[in-house]
Amino acid sequence: MKNLSFLNPPPLYVEIGQGSLKALREDDGMELTLERHSDGRLTAPCKEKTVLALKNFLKAKNWQPRIRAVCAVGARGVSLRRLSLPAGTREEFHQRLLLQIEGEFPLPPDELAWGCQPLGGPPPSNGIMAKQELLVAAVRKEAVADYHEILRACGTDPVFTLAALARSNLCAPAVDSFTMLDIGNSQSELTSFENNVPTNSRIIFWGSENVSGSAGAKSDALEQAIKNSLTGTKLIVSGNKLSEDFTSRLTKTLGNGCQCERLEVAGGKGRSAAIAGLEKFAGQGGPALVIRLEQTSGAAASLAALDWKKWGARIGALLTALLLLPYAEALLLKPHLAKKVAAFKAEAARLTVIDRELDFLRDLKSSQPPYLDVLYVLSKSVPPGTRFDSLSLNSHGEVSLRCAFHDGQQVADFRTKLIDSGFFANVTVEEQVPTPDHQKVNVRISAQEKTLTQLQALSASLPADETGKGEKSASPGVKPPGVATAAPTTPLVSRKETK
Amino acid sequence: MRPLNDREKRTIRFAGIGIAIYLALFGGFQVWKFFDQKRSDYRQLAHEAQNLRRQARPYRDKVLVVKKLMDEFHMDPAGLKKEMVVSDASAAIQHAARAGGLQLGPVRESPARGSGKTLATVQMESSGQVPAVLAFLAGLNRIGFPVVVDSVQFTADNSRPGQVKMNLTIIILDFDRQKSEQPKNLEAAHA
Repeated sequence: MKNLSFLNPPPLYVEIGQGSLKALREDDGMELTLERHSDGRLTAPCKEKTVLALKNFLKAKNWQPRIRAVCAVGARGVSLRRLSLPAGTREEFHQRLLLQIEGEFPLPPDELAWGCQPLGGPPPSNGIMAKQELLVAAVRKEAVADYHEILRACGTDPVFTLAALARSNLCAPAVDSFTMLDIGNSQSELTSFENNVPTNSRIIFWGSENVSGSAGAKSDALEQAIKNSLTGTKLIVSGNKLSEDFTSRLTKTLGNGCQCERLEVAGGKGRSAAIAGLEKFAGQGGPALVIRLEQTSGAAASLAALDWKKWGARIGALLTALLLLPYAEALLLKPHLAKKVAAFKAEAARLTVIDRELDFLRDLKSSQPPYLDVLYVLSKSVPPGTRFDSLSLNSHGEVSLRCAFHDGQQVADFRTKLIDSGFFANVTVEEQVPTPDHQKVNVRISAQEKTLTQLQALSASLPADETGKGEKSASPGVKPPGVATAAPTTPLVSRKETK
Repeated sequence: MRPLNDREKRTIRFAGIGIAIYLALFGGFQVWKFFDQKRSDYRQLAHEAQNLRRQARPYRDKVLVVKKLMDEFHMDPAGLKKEMVVSDASAAIQHAARAGGLQLGPVRESPARGSGKTLATVQMESSGQVPAVLAFLAGLNRIGFPVVVDSVQFTADNSRPGQVKMNLTIIILDFDRQKSEQPKNLEAAHA
């Protein structure tokens, strides 16, 4: 799948704070300073500068799909509410949620960028309607809209969540309440958690610039700012420019039994606790709470986000390619194909030679008379002590021989064996004359070999087991020299077994 | 030249647009016709190429069979020269006989008469031990020439016990007359 990374580019992780923007993509990071108006919105030159810097950082190609940007927004202006709603159909539930948000937050839902995270609820019991617990985070739409505009302009598809949630994702799940303090340059963010759910998040105007000073009155200022807001007995501190003994000093300063722990995060450009939490979210399938600008259904949202002009151009280009490709193929490939066809036609004469050679060689092979087979059959059939005067064979399959046997019985046996071999169509004893002393019988025999077709038919009609037996029965006896290598023994065996 | 009034200008504009549309359509049609002709030619060529490919496909197997048979007979029929085949084949037969330990007797060559596939017939007499005779017969089809033993006659050599006389008639086939005749089988040869 790595080979397809150009189709599925790695995500971009962004943390947007009050005064800075940190971005991380794979191992490459960057940090930008943000300039804001007095109302908290980004200035126009800042937007332009940020878009330019991010484009330069991403180096995204136009043809590539949009890069997914997972963004963590700071706590400034964010309101958190824990709501409990009766369960119902999706539409009903959504309507109720909107009404609740309208009631709970100072602005109507249309002017908010908000998101919710289901927290589960108490198990339904008899007579009590099932309820759904929700954590809702909302912020003024304009604030998120600026970030959305910037990130879309540099070719990404942004998703927003809370920085505090991302940081808490790095902590081990805790049953007790705890507080997280993220220390920025000039401001810090304090978020309280109950059962791992953020209940309150606020900004403290105290930053790492103050840490570098002496530990006297400045630490007291922090202690004063957070002491009354602490929940639980644990304070988890994160930040890049903290000294080693900061947590121990803070524990001492607080002096209320609250233990301060430092959240260890790898340092480097574009790295922070929130970004590390976002990276962890990516491995978990994305953040549970997503702050949206428009609360529409998935399909509608994706259709709304479509760049119709771009997609129209792509579809048009595809259709044009579909229409023109056959003509382009004809223009481009015709010379090549014509050359190949001409070359093949020039070589076609060789095919005739191959045909002729094949016919000739087959003809030659089939014309080879099986003289050695005949000799083998004769040698296996003749009784010992027989004297051959002459033996002639020809390519028409005619065999004639003159020989002397001891008696007429041997002649009969020999003839029977020849017939039993299955190799001959007929065997005729043309002449059988006893010698004057009656010690021998001179015989003249002629025979006609069976045709190849007849022999093949006989061989094919044999059952497999009989062929096996035939091989066994044929093995005894001595073959004449030269026959073993040249004569095809299988037909001979078949002939014997057919009787 | 007097200046054109608005109506005339409009008429000229419409005429220009009309001519432009006509030219665009006419030119477009001509271009489309040109490209369509090219495409049609290409498709025809592609069809022809497919037919040729289909025609050539069985030759992969045929080439394999030819190779196997050529290995079997130690011979490339297309490489044989007609004027040299008879002399070379006769020499090869005699060399094989001598190498096998046979004693050669008279050898007679007679050219083929008629338009058959036979180029010449060689008759030879020889004598030797039975194993040598059989080995010679078995190796005749591997001498590198298209020869077929038409007939063979063995007679006992009374003067030398253990030896046989062999009278062979060998046909030398003519590859040039093969053309594309269908191969004959043994049955046809026997008929």
